[in-house]
Amino acid sequence: MFAYLLRRLNLFLATSLVMIGVLFYATGLFPVERTYALTGIHAPTTSQLIQIEQDYKLDKHSGWQFIAYLQQRLSGNLGISVTSHQQVAEELRSVLPASFELATMAAIIAICLGVPIGVLASQSQHKLTQNTIMAITLTGYSVPVFWLGLYLSLWFGVDLGWLPISGQINLLYEIKPITGFMLVDTLLSKSEYGMSAFKDALLHIILPAMTLAVLPFTVVVRSTRSAMMNVMDQTYIRAAEARGMHTSTIILRHALPNALIPVLKHLGLMLGSFASYAIVVEMIFSWPGVGSWLVSGIYQRDYTVIQGGILAVALLIIFLSILIEVLHTVFNPLSRKDLYATR
Amino acid sequence: MSGLLVACSPQQLPSGLVYCSEGNPESFNPQLVTSGTTIDATSHQIYSRLIDYDTQSGKLVPALATSWAMSDDGLSYRFTLRENVQFQHSSRFIPSRYFNADDVLFSFNRIIDAQHPYHFVSRTGYPFFQSIGFSEQVKKIEKINEHEVVLYLNRKDASFLSNLATDFAIILSDEYAQQQLALGQPENVDHFAIGTGPFTLVQYAKNEYIRYRRNPDYWGEPANVEMLVFDITLKSTTRLAKLITGDCSVSALPKAGELAVIKQHEELNIESQPGLNVAFWAFNTQKPPLNDVRVRRALAYAVDKQDILRAVYQNTAIEATGVLPPASWAYENNKRIDDYNPQKARDLLKEAGVANLSIDIWAMPVARAYNPNTMKTAELIQSDLANIGVKVNIISYDWSVFTQRLSRDEYDSVLIGWNADNSDPDNFFTPILSCSAMQSNNNRSRWCNPEFDALLDSAREIADQAERKVIYQQAEAFLADQVPLLSFAHAKRVILTRHDISNMQVTPFGGISFARTSQVHSEAN
Repeated sequence: MFAYLLRRLNLFLATSLVMIGVLFYATGLFPVERTYALTGIHAPTTSQLIQIEQDYKLDKHSGWQFIAYLQQRLSGNLGISVTSHQQVAEELRSVLPASFELATMAAIIAICLGVPIGVLASQSQHKLTQNTIMAITLTGYSVPVFWLGLYLSLWFGVDLGWLPISGQINLLYEIKPITGFMLVDTLLSKSEYGMSAFKDALLHIILPAMTLAVLPFTVVVRSTRSAMMNVMDQTYIRAAEARGMHTSTIILRHALPNALIPVLKHLGLMLGSFASYAIVVEMIFSWPGVGSWLVSGIYQRDYTVIQGGILAVALLIIFLSILIEVLHTVFNPLSRKDLYATR
Repeated sequence: MSGLLVACSPQQLPSGLVYCSEGNPESFNPQLVTSGTTIDATSHQIYSRLIDYDTQSGKLVPALATSWAMSDDGLSYRFTLRENVQFQHSSRFIPSRYFNADDVLFSFNRIIDAQHPYHFVSRTGYPFFQSIGFSEQVKKIEKINEHEVVLYLNRKDASFLSNLATDFAIILSDEYAQQQLALGQPENVDHFAIGTGPFTLVQYAKNEYIRYRRNPDYWGEPANVEMLVFDITLKSTTRLAKLITGDCSVSALPKAGELAVIKQHEELNIESQPGLNVAFWAFNTQKPPLNDVRVRRALAYAVDKQDILRAVYQNTAIEATGVLPPASWAYENNKRIDDYNPQKARDLLKEAGVANLSIDIWAMPVARAYNPNTMKTAELIQSDLANIGVKVNIISYDWSVFTQRLSRDEYDSVLIGWNADNSDPDNFFTPILSCSAMQSNNNRSRWCNPEFDALLDSAREIADQAERKVIYQQAEAFLADQVPLLSFAHAKRVILTRHDISNMQVTPFGGISFARTSQVHSEAN
């Protein structure tokens, strides 16, 4: 197991290194001066220029430059934003929690709804129920997220006026960031408006979270269903049935835990597209997270923000997919057997 | 159970007002910019000026200066300053003294004196002041005592006081500036603003919001709302949606097509007023073949202005016959020579020997009061010019990039406009078409004509309105002949409010002000 973890770590480092290498190469392609693309300082003074040259080893050849770039970025120096003149790392820190909050909400919705419906689809005797569920999930899977987001905001926001359609909270609530998660912060807030701020934040997250949840929800339903059908054919389930156990006990105690393992794997595979969906959803609902920050950085030709955003998002995806793979191995004795065999 | 109770109780909102603004401010000091977005976010909210305009009558009224007098030769102005005016305080700065003459000296010396330690703290210069030649105009500023200053001019200027009442001529704190300079962070003065206005800047989150709080020490009548938030919303449709869902109470710059939607919603009001503005198509007169006046005339003949008024403004604007709008006292309804005439345009191009012409049109990415949809305007001009065999490329960038590249003068032509800062007609000529405006990159036509400048100078030296009007009409005729730009519309200023907003002042010129606005909070939801 230790050797396996070491190999995964190795994979993480190697992939990240390649990714940073690509970013480093791209800084040379931006149509502006190298120092500007690296630091975000426009028209630096002489002393600043010397500092930049030292930091990024601009007088040495590109191998050294890459190592210097790596050192700067990994020590948290992402440069300053061209438009706001603030540290990119600091801006990143202020937008990351909002994205996490949205992603977590979407994941909770997807899993809490997806797993029971997937089980229902696999166990239902009625062709109609099965087909309906499959048709709905297939539709959900194929609907473009930008269309869905716009339509939901048109229906629930503009026409019905039930839900707010942009931002994280009504801006009149002044909530001090403690954890960065708006829902938690409003609860922790000592202001007399804390409770109504929490309710307002909850209303604000419903539409974006629902929109973002559609893709993982359909994936969860479909993979739960097929995994359940697989598991239910296994001999140990038939043995349990033969012993006269109650169907619900069989499903909850014996079938479902095993069926969820492939679901986990599917979720891991989906991370990349989930992240790009999240960016679109953040744009549609003006959610102040990494996605909208990155996209506005692109519009504003904010080269340091673009680098910082890509770095953060890519590192996160690489890390999470490897984490999920490791978890998958931990929970699945079978794949561990594969592991030893291939060693 | 408690969750259920919360869900049933009426939602309580802190008292305050949210304005959906259209973009990020470039700075928090209006001296450094000319963009309307920045002016809106700063000038009337955080700062005060020496003198102000009365929004109803258009007359000058006292602000930080309680009285002023011009010397008989018209070359010096003496201002008596208001006493006991407190500067705002923030986590960075707590004022130890009241506003006095030193603050006035600092605010203007920073602009006119290139030796001043703060002069080059601004990387963008002082575009409005450069465009009116402020530093050549003002000889010196003298402090008589704590509460009296005298401004000496090099030449007589009838528009001088008007320029001091513009949104750009704000008063900064000298004490704050010295303190930040000592700390080695002079640029903080422009980022973390301290002024004497009705609101104090609390927090700015890029792309998200600007938060202000009522300034309890304001020298005038305190603002009606406790908190003011600018919700930065770039897209016009999103601003409209936020207004409908109640996330914003006030919004501006709707696209003309959206007005029909607004009328369907009873809770929304449209407040409009003829604006002192002009939308135009500026030709880069230094770049061939646009340096040839025949080519410029040809392009002017080729554009169907009525079409633009119909499609872009949906008849919320009036056709421009020159740069001055009808709301200005120097306006006269001229029949312009360049009416829509594609045949004449083709002939002129042939005469100039230009064939297969292809030009770039830069279209602003943001809505402005004078042009709600520049992209669409550019497309209409594109099809008009296709009729006379001229190919058009439309170019657009995000606003910050757009202005940067525009100042590098690599464009052929640009669709832009001008919002007046004061009611003086000079404001329509000197800041956008003079030679000094070219140095500050405000002259988008890059057109410098000494004869035209002399005309403007002579108009400024006269005090009599009727005489000045004659000269400004000569200037209009000069422009119609030389066509450094093609003006096409004067738009109405439109502000959208929810029904619980009252006293929203819509001024024909300058930035938005929330000092008098009030909101009746309904027990919503």
